[in-house]
Amino acid sequence: MSLALPPEALRFRDEVRAFLDEHLSADLRRGAALTSGVFAEPDIARPWQAILETRGWLVYHWPVAAGGPGWSRVQRWIFEKECAEAGAPALPGMGLKLVGPVLYSFGDDAQKADYLPRLRSGEDFWAQGFSEPGSGSDLASLRTRAVRDGDDYLVTGQKIWTTQAHHANRLFALVRTNPEAKPQAGISFLLIDMASPGVTVRPILSASGDHELNEVFLDAVRVPVANRIGEEGQGWTIAKFLLENERGGSSFGPGLVADLRRLLDATGPLKGELATRAIRLSLDARALETTELRTAIELDAGAPPTPRSLITKLVASEIRQGIDELAVDAFGPAGLQLPAERPFYGPGMPAPIGPQAAQPAAARYLNSRAWTIFGGTSEIQLTLIAKAAVGL
Amino acid sequence: MMLEPTEEQALLRDMVSRFLADHVPTDVAGRGSLPLADWRALGDLGVLALAVPEAAGGLGGGPGEIAIVAEAFGRAAAMGPLAECAVLCACLIADGGDQASASKWIGAITSGQAIVAYGGPGEGLGDLTVQRAGEGWILNGERRLVRHGAGAGAFIVALDDAPHLLLIEAATPGVAILPYALADGEQAALVRFDAVEVACEARLQVTPTRRRRVIAMTQLAITAEMIGLMQTLYEATVDHVRQRRQFGVAIGSFQVVQHRVARLFILLEQSRSLLLRAISADDDAFATAVTEAFAYVADAALRLAQDATQLHGGMGVTEDLLVGRGHRRLLVLSHLFGGAIAARAKLAA
Repeated sequence: MSLALPPEALRFRDEVRAFLDEHLSADLRRGAALTSGVFAEPDIARPWQAILETRGWLVYHWPVAAGGPGWSRVQRWIFEKECAEAGAPALPGMGLKLVGPVLYSFGDDAQKADYLPRLRSGEDFWAQGFSEPGSGSDLASLRTRAVRDGDDYLVTGQKIWTTQAHHANRLFALVRTNPEAKPQAGISFLLIDMASPGVTVRPILSASGDHELNEVFLDAVRVPVANRIGEEGQGWTIAKFLLENERGGSSFGPGLVADLRRLLDATGPLKGELATRAIRLSLDARALETTELRTAIELDAGAPPTPRSLITKLVASEIRQGIDELAVDAFGPAGLQLPAERPFYGPGMPAPIGPQAAQPAAARYLNSRAWTIFGGTSEIQLTLIAKAAVGL
Repeated sequence: MMLEPTEEQALLRDMVSRFLADHVPTDVAGRGSLPLADWRALGDLGVLALAVPEAAGGLGGGPGEIAIVAEAFGRAAAMGPLAECAVLCACLIADGGDQASASKWIGAITSGQAIVAYGGPGEGLGDLTVQRAGEGWILNGERRLVRHGAGAGAFIVALDDAPHLLLIEAATPGVAILPYALADGEQAALVRFDAVEVACEARLQVTPTRRRRVIAMTQLAITAEMIGLMQTLYEATVDHVRQRRQFGVAIGSFQVVQHRVARLFILLEQSRSLLLRAISADDDAFATAVTEAFAYVADAALRLAQDATQLHGGMGVTEDLLVGRGHRRLLVLSHLFGGAIAARAKLAA
């Protein structure tokens, strides 16, 4: 009974660490440290993605058959921990974490050959078209229609909360192909070229001042049937597979441990109530990364996926929000500044009030309120835990 | 990297669990210490010698073995002087006692014949002063929370401001033992020392590093015991919300109840992770990892107990139900060594 990493895992950790030392530039670290949104912006993400791809570590979580390096779950956990400790940019997950695994798991050979290389090279940037104005937690009620027209679908409807759609040239979307069937059974999974006539992206400015979110309007957009993943009506099954990856595909704990440490480096030692909150958050984050390591060890040993992994997204989002709230409190008045300019590491920023790290604190606080909403709200997560893990 | 106990650890766990299942039926669980005969039987099984180094005649078990036994105690809501006596005092005597103390007490502790109780320093635990007197010392003051102090044959007292650990027999003139009942039904004592003469051999020579480690092992045992009891209360609560019907349906079908129980599942899993992390820590990191685990679990255990009580409704506040008794036990365990507050303060320092 021990979680201690064996020598070969420690050697692997050292290899990753050395690579990060050499290739993660000060600019990239600074950009990551001053990112206020969930994912790094393309100017940070693209160069980092290219560096990882050159080393063969970009799709470290993909199986060998799909081009991954064949790492165990524990190796992935170590890699994620080292990247977090080093302060690497958080690469947008829509392509690498979400549609990539869908493509290699459900796509046909032509689709894999067509899309996977461009995803890896960064030529394709993906957005996720799931939520709609009337379909949030009740995703299966979505109404965007895809009507067959010869070898194409004509897709009409509206998607919302589409993260980084303004950077994307591709959209993967859930659409209703059969309005007669039960809600879940009438859904299909389509890949849509954002350059197609009838696609309109409208920005949604967050209260944080960040532009990450968008509305995507689809007006009789012509999508080849060849762009459907899986069978018609299989979309819900694919969506569930994808959501599992979104919620539990990679570890959250290491990033939270590292972010809290960086915050405390910037604030200096905290006292009283702030110190207590910092300790509580640190214990929560340490426990979470260990919970994730336990799950990785189990999966490597061939155990079936554990319902324990359901807790990670919920717990992570609460710690995320706790850290960001602590930052606002710990920076005092400097935690209230909210410049309109973005990104925070960009050249056009006004001089920070107080330490540099305080400048994005209010934006982060406001932005991270989204964590308990996206990818399944905390209320949805609790219901899932109660059903699948507790057995109620 | 292995999450499961080793074969030997599994045998140990099964042996202790079986023994406790036979000797601590649910209706007596959580009502007080095991009877002396049962304690001796545990000694015969080797359970009380687990933490003692092999060189001192013990089994030399590590954190994993200690946690396994303590968790089995918690699971069964079984009580006894496991942490402070069989782990802490036994190890301190084994490490720092002279030949005479070792031969007098270690065998007696590990066979379940005698209890040595611990009076540590801390906020509200009483003041103790020691003065040099010839070759020995004169001890004055008191320790207010000495678990199992009422039936102890000796005490180990740690001083507030000196690195001394003193082993003092209960029958020493000037030692007054005032027994009282703790919230969990166990006996504790306020122990007064009135000009007690302590010979120089009574001083336990334990290095600070070793002392930290042994105290950490003790806190680890308490943490594991809490987790065992959390599991028992969690399972009782899940069973209850499945069976209890109101408004014509099981209350576990209500989302507001489901979400509360889901939170308990999270507390338990996160607690287990920090316990495993402590067990797996290097020697250097062990004491801090234990403090972290204890700080988290002491909080989580009480929150879980409170919700278990709430979800059991009126029955949850009765003594009849194991949930109520388990809650009492967790109240005590979560406050030992200064509880979560002292542990967090230590981590913040």
